[in-house]
Amino acid sequence: MSVVVRDETAIELQKDEIGRAPLILGDKQTFSTVTDTVAGMTEKKPPKAWPLLLGLAFSVLMILGASLTRLVGWGTGTWGLNHPVGWAWDITGFVFWIGIGHAGTLISAILFLFRQKWRTSINRAAEAMTIFAVMAAGVYPAFHVGRVWLLYWVFPVPNQMQVWPNFKSPLLWDVFAVSTYMTVSILFWYVGLVPDLATLRDRATTKTKQMVLGIFALGWRGSHRHWLNYEKAYLILAGLSTPLVLSVHTIVSFDFAVSVIPGWHTTIFPPYFVAGAVFSGFAMVMTLMIIVRKVYNLQHIVTIRHLENMNKIMLATGSMVGYAYAMEFFIAWYSGNPYEKFTFINRAFGPYSWAYWTMVSCNVISPQFFWFKKIRTSIPIMFVLTIFINIGMWFERFVIIVTSLHRDFVPSSWGYFRPTIIDISTFVGTFGLFFFMFLLFIRFLPAIAIGEVKGVMPAADPHAHDDHGPEGDGHDAHGSDDKHDKHDDGDAEAAHG
Amino acid sequence: MKRLPIIYAKDLSGRDYWRSLGEREGSPEFRASLAREFPEGASELPEELKQEVEATGPDGGKVDVTRRGFLGVMGAAAALASFAGCRRPEEKIIPYARPPEEIIPGKPLYYATAMPFYGTTIGLLVESHEGRPTKIEGNPAHPDSRGATTPYIQATVLDMYDPDRSATPLQKNAGRSWDEAIVALRELGKTLAANGGKSLAIISDYHRSPTLELALTDLKKAMPSAQIVRYEPFGASNGRAGTKIAFGKPMDAVHELGKAKVIVSLDADLFHAETSPIKASRGWAEGREIPEGEGKKPDLNRLYVAESAYSITGASADHRLRVPSGQVSQIAAALADVSKEASSAGVAGVAGSLPEKAKKWVAAVLKDLVTRAPGTTLVVAGQKQPPAVHALVALINQALGNIGQTVRYVPAFNEGPEGASAMVELGKSIASKAVDTVIVLAGNPAFDAPADANMATGLAGVTTLHLGSHVDETGALAAWHIPKAHILEGWNDLVAEDGTYSVVQPLIAPLYGGKTEAELVRVLLNQPAKGHDLVRATAAMVLGEADFEKKWRRLLHSGAMELAEAKVEAPTLAIADVLASAKSIAAPQGFEIVFYPDFHAWDGRFANNGWLQELPDSMTKLTWTNVAWLSPNTAKELGVADGDMVNVTVNGATAKLPAAIVPGQAEKSVAVMCGSGRRTTGRVGTKVGFDTYPLRKAGGFDFASGTVAKAGEVYAVARTQEHFATEGRPFVREGTVAEFIKNPEFVKEMVEEGPPLESLWSPIEYTGHRWGLTINLNTCTGCMTCMIACQAENNIPVVGEDGVRRSRSMHWIRVDRYFEGTAEEPRAIVQPLPCQQCENAPCESVCPVGATTHSPEGLNDMAYNRCIGTRYCANNCPFKVRRFNFFNYNTDVPEQRKMQFNPDVTVRFRGVMEKCTFCVQRINKAKIAAKKEGSDRVKDGVIVTACQQACPTGAITFGDLADEKSAVAKSQKHPVAYKLLEELNIHPRVSYLAKIKNPNPELGES
Repeated sequence: MSVVVRDETAIELQKDEIGRAPLILGDKQTFSTVTDTVAGMTEKKPPKAWPLLLGLAFSVLMILGASLTRLVGWGTGTWGLNHPVGWAWDITGFVFWIGIGHAGTLISAILFLFRQKWRTSINRAAEAMTIFAVMAAGVYPAFHVGRVWLLYWVFPVPNQMQVWPNFKSPLLWDVFAVSTYMTVSILFWYVGLVPDLATLRDRATTKTKQMVLGIFALGWRGSHRHWLNYEKAYLILAGLSTPLVLSVHTIVSFDFAVSVIPGWHTTIFPPYFVAGAVFSGFAMVMTLMIIVRKVYNLQHIVTIRHLENMNKIMLATGSMVGYAYAMEFFIAWYSGNPYEKFTFINRAFGPYSWAYWTMVSCNVISPQFFWFKKIRTSIPIMFVLTIFINIGMWFERFVIIVTSLHRDFVPSSWGYFRPTIIDISTFVGTFGLFFFMFLLFIRFLPAIAIGEVKGVMPAADPHAHDDHGPEGDGHDAHGSDDKHDKHDDGDAEAAHG
Repeated sequence: MKRLPIIYAKDLSGRDYWRSLGEREGSPEFRASLAREFPEGASELPEELKQEVEATGPDGGKVDVTRRGFLGVMGAAAALASFAGCRRPEEKIIPYARPPEEIIPGKPLYYATAMPFYGTTIGLLVESHEGRPTKIEGNPAHPDSRGATTPYIQATVLDMYDPDRSATPLQKNAGRSWDEAIVALRELGKTLAANGGKSLAIISDYHRSPTLELALTDLKKAMPSAQIVRYEPFGASNGRAGTKIAFGKPMDAVHELGKAKVIVSLDADLFHAETSPIKASRGWAEGREIPEGEGKKPDLNRLYVAESAYSITGASADHRLRVPSGQVSQIAAALADVSKEASSAGVAGVAGSLPEKAKKWVAAVLKDLVTRAPGTTLVVAGQKQPPAVHALVALINQALGNIGQTVRYVPAFNEGPEGASAMVELGKSIASKAVDTVIVLAGNPAFDAPADANMATGLAGVTTLHLGSHVDETGALAAWHIPKAHILEGWNDLVAEDGTYSVVQPLIAPLYGGKTEAELVRVLLNQPAKGHDLVRATAAMVLGEADFEKKWRRLLHSGAMELAEAKVEAPTLAIADVLASAKSIAAPQGFEIVFYPDFHAWDGRFANNGWLQELPDSMTKLTWTNVAWLSPNTAKELGVADGDMVNVTVNGATAKLPAAIVPGQAEKSVAVMCGSGRRTTGRVGTKVGFDTYPLRKAGGFDFASGTVAKAGEVYAVARTQEHFATEGRPFVREGTVAEFIKNPEFVKEMVEEGPPLESLWSPIEYTGHRWGLTINLNTCTGCMTCMIACQAENNIPVVGEDGVRRSRSMHWIRVDRYFEGTAEEPRAIVQPLPCQQCENAPCESVCPVGATTHSPEGLNDMAYNRCIGTRYCANNCPFKVRRFNFFNYNTDVPEQRKMQFNPDVTVRFRGVMEKCTFCVQRINKAKIAAKKEGSDRVKDGVIVTACQQACPTGAITFGDLADEKSAVAKSQKHPVAYKLLEELNIHPRVSYLAKIKNPNPELGES
């Protein structure tokens, strides 16, 4: 059904006035083919790799279960934590996963507000990834505490003792920031799913599917009023999510910045963490989408242009992160604070220098290759680079957390952290959780926003052959009445086909 | 109890309705059933069981076992069983309805007692909760301890509750009842007495107990041929042999460091291991006071130490000379130049081969000694040093006029064969079958006797009677092993060198019915053997019959009584003999191996004590093993790295143990720790450390020449501190007297003043007490007593060797050790670091659940119940003094061990953070007491923290900073007082007083 466009001349012909390749490739693409392609992912027999991958992910998820059982059953000491190093792989894993989640929100919300149409092909998967990443992240703050069964004390639960959480604590801010983020992300994702769920419902062949999808489609019929309300809700949620992209990682960075520990106590952290989060999130989206578009033959929807745009964002955020690394060193020297100075020298040349240089090579050097268009558009190379960036960003958090803690003020209490097998298996296990959820998502929900993709297709543009019209915004398929007709057409077609 | 039958009202109709045929007939069964609660058989035991119960019931009497009766008996039994848990010395169980006098549940009582250790007597004051001794303190009324303790004394209470103690007498390792054992012992006594004790040997330690001495004297009367050998692996027998040369009879030296202005220690670890460490440290500290105020010049004493291994005494010294132990005798000979006789006899001639550095040192020391007024200096010889050195030191002290002033020589408590050579002699007698019965009253000769005494094989071949708290190496091969009463369990008495008489009174009935040494001897003699009566009888002899009851009670109350006749005049010195013995002094050859008691297990006796095993060594911060100390250069020559296993060979015997590279260790001198590596001991001490006693032989018992070679394996040593450099950070600050006189505030100028700091949160206003602590680095020796005292007081768990390797040790106060200078000639400094109780505490603001909050008195409180264990507080603590329970360290705690726990302090669960609270339980107790007296303020000095109480040098001061007259408020205003990390705006409540050294200008600062 799907058409793989490899014909360079065809792409050339379809380029717009400033030479950008079209968002959806293939001259035979219609609303119907898009619906068929995306809905087909959930309706047809999955590729052979899917059950294998699901089984693998489930096995790894079970490793997480076993690790956490061991952790809660025996105590925090099953991890390698010790007295100078009270946090290591746990909070590293937490910040790593939360950071990954940021790409989804950025793509969905900020790019939406900036009218970046190219987001439509990837936003659904990215949003799903956000939710699963936050779930994986949530494992850590929940289970890293010594007494998991009392975790609910971090919530302001009214109680007869009138004991409240400590509102001065950045960890409490974290609780609110992350739970808000999770809630808004789920809402945003779900609202976006509603029209597509209706499409699936209309195409469903069994009664059960119709019932279930019918319930979650909230009675969507694609009427003009539905679309009008939908667009407004989506816009509002995008508006709500946008500050979250900045706030969540800012607050996560406060866990460190608000402390007094050299290497943590620094004002650069909020922007540095946000840039790092977007950087790592895009890398993870890329890693996943490169695989998904190949397995499900979505090359015409998730095009090279999409991937290249994302690479450009990684180049930008990666450079910001590199700048932050350099600035940290500069400030350590410029501040004249001997403890600060020592911490940074120790990072680069101390016992954890191997981690530091791994981080620098992965995060600062590897994105610089994206200056070259050849590399930016080469799928194998960008895949390898995104893996490097994923590794590097994990190391960034590890370096910040562990190297600052292991040698702080009093030299007599300096120590060294070594992970245990449970540290490693817990972290590996969170990947199991993440991929298990992601594979289920790919299989049972439309992995690409069908309605939105249609909106950016030439057929959706009423002035497709006009040059720049006078109204500017009116050109956008979104929000114009014409567009809704097209949507209706598409749905009708789908329903009939 | 029988139920009354329900009475039915008579039917007024006159008709007699019946409810059953049984009622109508009025059968006896029916009548009985009316009175029963349950049908026949339901509430009673089956007939055959009932008979059994009746037969075994009290007095064989009838027991009417009904349900109610059964419950009644069970209830009473349960109540009695709970009383049995409260073990008291009383022999009758009295219900608490009529409680023992003075016992108020929840209020501890304190009893004065004493403990024999270091070959001396330590006066103790033991805290007892409802009959359970929980904490040992020094007895302020005892002239030796003056209320302070050492780590071993603090940890002794844990030894008593050791669940691995032997519970019953054992015959060839088979359990026997006490009755059987007593019968067998009396039989043995009869047999031995019959042949006059011809083939009997008794091994005892360097005890100072008149009651035991009397018992042994009586034994000697009954068995005149019996030989009594006194032996301890680390004792003062060299000193007694030396004084025998000098004075003609064995004597003990009593040092008064407090009176000395110049102290020279010749390889004597005065503050840790020798003679009376508490008294020595206190005396030294008395002379280190830095006066406050304008124009007051400090007049400090000066401590010179010549030693091979870096001891805490050496670390406290103003000038330390790093020499092999074998060369110390040459230094003694060189110092003997102060004596005219020695000088003219040319004793110093043997010192000609001293290295340049040592020569310079000796010259400076000599000059310093002779320029002082007579009787104001003190030279001390180490226990390891041969008798000739002790004799020479007696001569030196006499020449300096010190005898009777800073040192007194008192007659040894008892005489007779003692030490390593006596053990070797005994070994020979055993081998030649001259001895066929050995009674081991104290010690563990099968493990710790000189290797050439062959005790392990010897004792297995004879009838050995072993009195010991554990089945140890000796107990395992003994014909009879008799459980020994712990010092907190049995009656005894002790007399200190200065003549102070103390009674060891039990705080608890023996947990396993153990016997004391004197009791055992009396059993053998077929004499009454009740410890209390024995000690009372001795006391009656010592104190005099007149007014005895009053004196006895006063003795029990205060724990110490000075005896009038203890004062002895100065003995006369046989100078010629001293000079003759000095001829034996020679320069050391090659590599020397020096033996030291292990910091953790001592001579092996504390091997099963978890607190001590986990207490980091003062200098190396090693736990849970003994090691061989090598200097950095020697290690480099041998190609040995820290933690490498090395083979130490002495006279053909080899022991393998890990090497520790210790800065300041003398070249070509290896310090080998003995006492660990126990083969037979409890669950804690098993597989801990390496047995090095095979290296020790009577010739070369203290140090011997030997070799060290790399063994090729690596041992993962467990250290609590890995980094010993200060990195130039101003945590420990020190200066010299000259610097202090020039600028008393020099300490404060060691840190640059930063911009004014502002806090995010509004400051707390304190209206009541403001608790604060001052630690005086100038008198802290780094003896580690505070750490164990804190552990005992605050129920701090032990995490084990692996736990320490993962750096998870739990001590609330730690003693940090830093070295500076070169690795060969370093200077060491210590810093005890408890929670600094910051007023702007970084830990408090970051806790998400508010489990750690600020008290109105400025304490940084920790609510264990509220803690969920995020560990954020520990991460944000700049001092890293917060301790996290990574596991449940209090799981599977044996019942006995639970009895030691301080009931005033919570035992923490896993997942909870814990920390120093300035002993908040003691603060609150004092506040309640003050409130009851109608005062809203606690008087200064009433509250004493556990660390402060234990400190031998009084380096810790605690009190109310709001009270300007308090000791702590004054000390924090001292010119040399400083606080840590003030630039973080945390406002610590702990101040440190800088270390002020008093170097000899001729030697410069070294």
